[in-house]
Amino acid sequence: MTSRALGQFYPVASPVHALDPRAKILATAVFVVGLFLVDSTIGLLFVAAALVALVGVSRIPAGTFARFMRPVLFIIALTVVFQALFSREGPTLVAWGFFEVHTGGLRLGFFLALRILLLVSSAGLLTATTAPVALADGIEDLLSPLKRVRFPAHEVAMMMTIALRFIPTLGQEAEKIRSAQAARGADFSEGGPLRRARSLVPVLVPLTVGAFRRADELAEAMESRGYRGGEGRTRYRELRFGKRDALALAVTLLILLVGILL
Amino acid sequence: MKLELRNVSHVYAPGTPFEVEALRGVSLVVEQGEVLGIVGGTGSGKSTLVQHMNLLLTPTSGDVLVDGVNARTLQKSDLRRRVGLVFQFPEAALFAPTVEEDVAFAPRQLGLDEGDVRERVSESLRAVGAGELNARSPFALSGGEKRRAAIAGVLAMKPEVLILDEPTAGLDPATREELLALIVGLRQTGISVVLVSHDLDEVAEVADRVCALHEGRVSATGTAAEVFYTDPEQAPATVQVASILRESKPSIGTPVRFEETLRALRSLQGDRGD
Repeated sequence: MTSRALGQFYPVASPVHALDPRAKILATAVFVVGLFLVDSTIGLLFVAAALVALVGVSRIPAGTFARFMRPVLFIIALTVVFQALFSREGPTLVAWGFFEVHTGGLRLGFFLALRILLLVSSAGLLTATTAPVALADGIEDLLSPLKRVRFPAHEVAMMMTIALRFIPTLGQEAEKIRSAQAARGADFSEGGPLRRARSLVPVLVPLTVGAFRRADELAEAMESRGYRGGEGRTRYRELRFGKRDALALAVTLLILLVGILL
Repeated sequence: MKLELRNVSHVYAPGTPFEVEALRGVSLVVEQGEVLGIVGGTGSGKSTLVQHMNLLLTPTSGDVLVDGVNARTLQKSDLRRRVGLVFQFPEAALFAPTVEEDVAFAPRQLGLDEGDVRERVSESLRAVGAGELNARSPFALSGGEKRRAAIAGVLAMKPEVLILDEPTAGLDPATREELLALIVGLRQTGISVVLVSHDLDEVAEVADRVCALHEGRVSATGTAAEVFYTDPEQAPATVQVASILRESKPSIGTPVRFEETLRALRSLQGDRGD
């Protein structure tokens, strides 16, 4: 585990980590929807400031959180460039042959970039402050009303839990196989895209074989411990939706309301 | 070739809550044509250590020297050919449709022509006693057969130093014996072998020198007898038995290998008969 991926769980003790996962999931959903209703720059900046404060409360070091964002920076930069080059709103700033940069385009570009950044950060904050298992439990609970229409909420949540649980395992496995093939002279960085894709075959084949083997083993282990699906199954950790959680949700709503009205 | 680690330290995931200091200033030498046993408990840093020998991991501080030359200045592909590393459970990296194809992977990466590749494949498969497996699918083999095929895949590079990380873990006794015999055979051809193992008895059988790791530091290093007889409580069965007898019969010496120990015990019996 040398690199930290976007939204990887960051285990520290903080008020945000301690919230009920259902509260955090709902708050994130509200936040994401609300963001699209905020249409003034000042409103968006207000929401951004609130999110920065929230990251501060979550005790995730700002530098680490910023590094989480690195993968999306490219998309954000692209958005700004496209908006700046192809939007013809407002007075012209620079004209350079076919390309013209207008103030309106620039402003729109930054506005969209900020919106994307906030979308990704809010989702990132959710997954960085919520353990994968808690996240799946929360989703199961939120989906459980749908059980009445025969929606397999428990099974979906179990699938998610298992998938999340095995991401790091498969990641480590891939890293091990990669190292083993590198020790046999495999080179993953040379040549064109086709050669590079081909060089992944010696990693992907054993990884897939291993994943199927693991799936069989897991199914057997679960059956031998008496797992029979969600019917009547209790939980080791019961979720409790307390006053703090309600408050967190209310604060999120309030922030967005202010953002929309500004 | 002589492989040397000088004051090598390694920190995983520095600057995160997952930070682990796996190696703390490890220095050791693998001499030409010797078998070096690396022993230590779980989490002592054995596997991290060996990945530094071909620079799959780069030291956080310290140097790796190949015949006195800093390994960082060498070409990676060349270094990895000369220092062959067989990972723990190497069969997890088998991928080709046939054993032959899989073993051919490394020599093909070296850019050898097809004739040479084929020669190396059959040579290394024969060396691990798996000559007859060439056309089989690696996924349809038994555990022991897979292990042999995977080791052949590294031998096919004709490395000057062969590192084996827990090569006998989970193997049947017969395959295990054959593997240990292979190690002794390789040394006779001038190849250095680094054997990582937590099984002291097997290290005792084949190692010329032993390096013991504890929490990322070298806790003891020297000939097998030197290391094992300084702490007989943490020693192979042979050394534990011999060191008890040594209290009353110093003439037993310091046998380490099973055959040696047997011979020493027999000679004691002879003494009594006189």
